[in-house]
Amino acid sequence: MIQLSVNGTQHQLDVPDDMPLLWVVRDVLGLTGTKFGCGIAQCGACTVHLDGEAVRSCVLPVSAAAGRAVTTIEAVGQSALGAQVQQAWLDHEVVQCGYCQSGQIMSATALLQRQPAPSDAEIDAGMAGNLCRCATYTRIRAAIRDVDAGGAA
Amino acid sequence: MHSSKTLFGGLALAALSLHVQADDQALIERGKYLAAAADCVACHTVPGGEPFAGGVEFKLPFGSLYSPNITPDQQTGIGDWSDAEFLSALHEGVGKDGKRYYPAFPYTSYTLMPDDEVQAIKAYLFSLEPVSNTVPENTLSFPYNQRWGMFFWNLVFHNNERFEPDPSQSEAWNRGAYLVEGPGHCGECHTPRNFAQALSSSQPLAGNLVQGWQAYNISSDPAHGIGAWSPAELVSYLGKGYAPGKGVASGPMGDVVSHSLRHLSDDDLSAIATYLLTTEPQSEGVKRPDPVSASAEPVSDAGLGGQLFAGACAGCHSWDGSGTQSPVATLSGLKTVNDPAGTNLLNILLRGHTAPELRVDQQMPNFAKAYQDAELAAVGSFVLQHFGQTGASLSADDVAARRGNTGH
Ligand code: FES
Ligand code: FES
Repeated sequence: MIQLSVNGTQHQLDVPDDMPLLWVVRDVLGLTGTKFGCGIAQCGACTVHLDGEAVRSCVLPVSAAAGRAVTTIEAVGQSALGAQVQQAWLDHEVVQCGYCQSGQIMSATALLQRQPAPSDAEIDAGMAGNLCRCATYTRIRAAIRDVDAGGAA
Repeated sequence: MHSSKTLFGGLALAALSLHVQADDQALIERGKYLAAAADCVACHTVPGGEPFAGGVEFKLPFGSLYSPNITPDQQTGIGDWSDAEFLSALHEGVGKDGKRYYPAFPYTSYTLMPDDEVQAIKAYLFSLEPVSNTVPENTLSFPYNQRWGMFFWNLVFHNNERFEPDPSQSEAWNRGAYLVEGPGHCGECHTPRNFAQALSSSQPLAGNLVQGWQAYNISSDPAHGIGAWSPAELVSYLGKGYAPGKGVASGPMGDVVSHSLRHLSDDDLSAIATYLLTTEPQSEGVKRPDPVSASAEPVSDAGLGGQLFAGACAGCHSWDGSGTQSPVATLSGLKTVNDPAGTNLLNILLRGHTAPELRVDQQMPNFAKAYQDAELAAVGSFVLQHFGQTGASLSADDVAARRGNTGH
């Protein structure tokens, strides 16, 4: 049995220790907002927060998340910063197909948490592990800058 | 009366044979453990092949050797070997029919094992299914193909002696010394070899380049060896394949952990740590980087290498090398990021770290096909400069040369 806190709810889960967190979130808990892309930490589609830090849930065994706070795209909007990021995403109409976007928003929120006013280069470096095959990168950058301009932190 | 006697006799026999079976089973189990400690399977199994069926190629500067089939097959294995012949192979390097082995077979280490442990290994091997597999002939060139020459080599470099405990040391130390020098044959990779391919007696465990990988200095020197590791870190490395900020076992050492060390008891692993921490310090080879930590802030002006690190590496390893996903992904403090030749670094980038028993957060994909030589050189250089102190950089040619190394 693993005790897992996801989006503020405690779960008792009967899953193997080494099951990737992404599997647990999507298949066991039914939270399908987090996407599977590559499965080897190379695309960022599966990004969630572990104690506020962006992690790739496809390569994180659920046992490593036990006792820590997991936040997924379904609940990121509950924090003021997360809500601002989502609003900026809407304002800039960042989303194209959308597949990568939950991961982008999770990474952007974690980045802004660390660096409230990132430069363009810092945005590129901080977001670089999140791929977007629709190439929405310029809008992502603009939206992140906008959150800063709105004085999120 | 008569029948009850027979019955009694029969029961006694049955009891006796049960007893013998239990003894045999215990001997086989002991042999299995020792065979793991001696990592027989590593050299006697081709990738994907039947365990112990031999045929692994050892490329030497003067030709190739092939490991023999050591399953109990009568024709192609060691099924018709006597106890004495097996003992002579492990203690003296002389096999059945007086064939002299080359010291790719570490009999110069195994010779330290007492007779009963060698026989236990034989009992274990003979309990396995025979596999019929004829291994290729060695292809050594003259004069190295003259096995009799090994007679003189042995005179100079081989002592046919069993392990003698040092009474002034603890039991754990002696156990560790025995495991390291005997069955574990650590020095076979970690001790440099002299002109005659014998282990250099003046630099034990000082590190060596083996199969294109750095088998790092594991003497007790704190800067170059493992002197700065805690016993618990050594046990973690040996038993699990990693000690965050100290080392991750990959390539051939990953295989050693996978086939051998992770099967040893914690007591034996602690004993190995106890011994290694007391060996004579050797100050050569790749130095550990100072534990000054890199900044956690993304580096935004590091050119191609930094961009690639951001995209492909930082997600797991973090900008400060502390490993976001898992402590196993810790880069800072590893010798691998401080080896100016980038030997193991490039090997891992090209081969990944993907042993099936590793948990998802301990694995790393390989980047051999994803990036070109110049890109891998750039990201490798970035890693060396960001986390290490040598200031070295790698070229596309370095990567191209490494691509040829398959690790076998
Ligand atoms: S699915 Fe996890 S990074 Fe691609
Ligand atoms: S919006 Fe389509 S992949 Fe990013």
